[in-house]
Amino acid sequence: MQSFDEVSAAPAPVARPGLRLLLLPLVILAGMGLSVEAGLLGPLGEQVGHLWATLSIFGVGSAILFLLLLFAGPQKGPELTDLPRWQLIGGFLGPMYVVVLTLATPHIGIAMTMIAILSGQVGKSVLIDHFGWFGATRKKVNAERWLALGLIVAALVLIARG
Amino acid sequence: MSLVILLAVVVLAGAVLSVQAAINGRLGETVGVLRSSLLTFVVGAVSTGLLILFFEPAHAVSLLDVPKWQLSGALFGVVYMMVMVGAVPRVGTAVATVAVIVGQLGMGMLIDNFGWLGNPAIELSSSRVLAMVCLGLALVFMYRSSVRQAV
Repeated sequence: MQSFDEVSAAPAPVARPGLRLLLLPLVILAGMGLSVEAGLLGPLGEQVGHLWATLSIFGVGSAILFLLLLFAGPQKGPELTDLPRWQLIGGFLGPMYVVVLTLATPHIGIAMTMIAILSGQVGKSVLIDHFGWFGATRKKVNAERWLALGLIVAALVLIARG
Repeated sequence: MSLVILLAVVVLAGAVLSVQAAINGRLGETVGVLRSSLLTFVVGAVSTGLLILFFEPAHAVSLLDVPKWQLSGALFGVVYMMVMVGAVPRVGTAVATVAVIVGQLGMGMLIDNFGWLGNPAIELSSSRVLAMVCLGLALVFMYRSSVRQAV
C-alpha cells in the first residue's frame, strides 16, 4: 500500500550521487512489485473469493512483520496501547483498498487500476484543500492543481472508453 | 457491475488509501515503521476475517488449494515497505515517488499486455497510452504546484 501524497513533503536528498543511482533501480523494482501484488490478487480473488484473497495478504503480511519485529529487538517510542485510538483506524482502511484491487484488475487491467488509484489520491488532495473537508484549512487551489485534476478526469474517461 | 461504477469505486479506494497513508505516517513517526505496519496488517487481517465469517459465501476452491505462488502477494508489499524506508531518506520523497509510479505502471502494462500471472491479456491500445500520458502530466503539475507552495 502506498500513497502519492508524500510528494508534497519532498525533503532534500542527502545521499551521494553514486548511491542515489544505485538505489533508484531498487525503488523502481519495489514499485514493480506493487503491480505484481495486484496482478496476483485479481486471479486469486476470482478463484477463492475477494475477501479470502484479501485475508491472504493481511494474514501473510502480519506473520512476516511479527517475525521481523521479534528479530528487530526492542522498539523505541510509546506502547501501541498508549496511542490515541483514532490513529488505529488506518488498519480498517487498508482492506478496503485491497478488496477493490481484487475486484477491479480482472475488468480494467492492472495499469488502469493503478491510474485510477493515483487519480483518487490526487483528486482527494486537491478537493480536500479546496473545500477544507475533514477539518483541513481551506487553501486556495492554484491553476496548476486544477489542470492536474482536469488531466486526471481525462485519463479516467479514456479508461472508461476502453 | 458497470465499468463507470467500478471506476468510481477504484478512485474512491485511492482516496481512502491516501487517508490511510496519512494516518499511518503519523503512527510510524511515533512507534516506528515495523510496529505501525504490523498494527495495520493485524487489524486488517482480523477485520477481513470477521467479514469472511459473516458475509462470504462458500467457495469450491480455498486458499489452501491454489498454487503457492499465488499467495506471495504480501511479500511484495513488505519488500516495498522496507525498500522505501531505506531509500526515501537517501533519494528524497519526490524522486522515490516518481520511481515507484514508473515501476508500477511499467510492470502493470507488461502484465496486462502479456496476461502474466493468470490475468486476462489486454492489448496496449492508443487510449490506454493516452490515459498514461494524462496521468504523467497531472503528476508533473501536482509536483510543480507543491514545490511552489513549499518555497
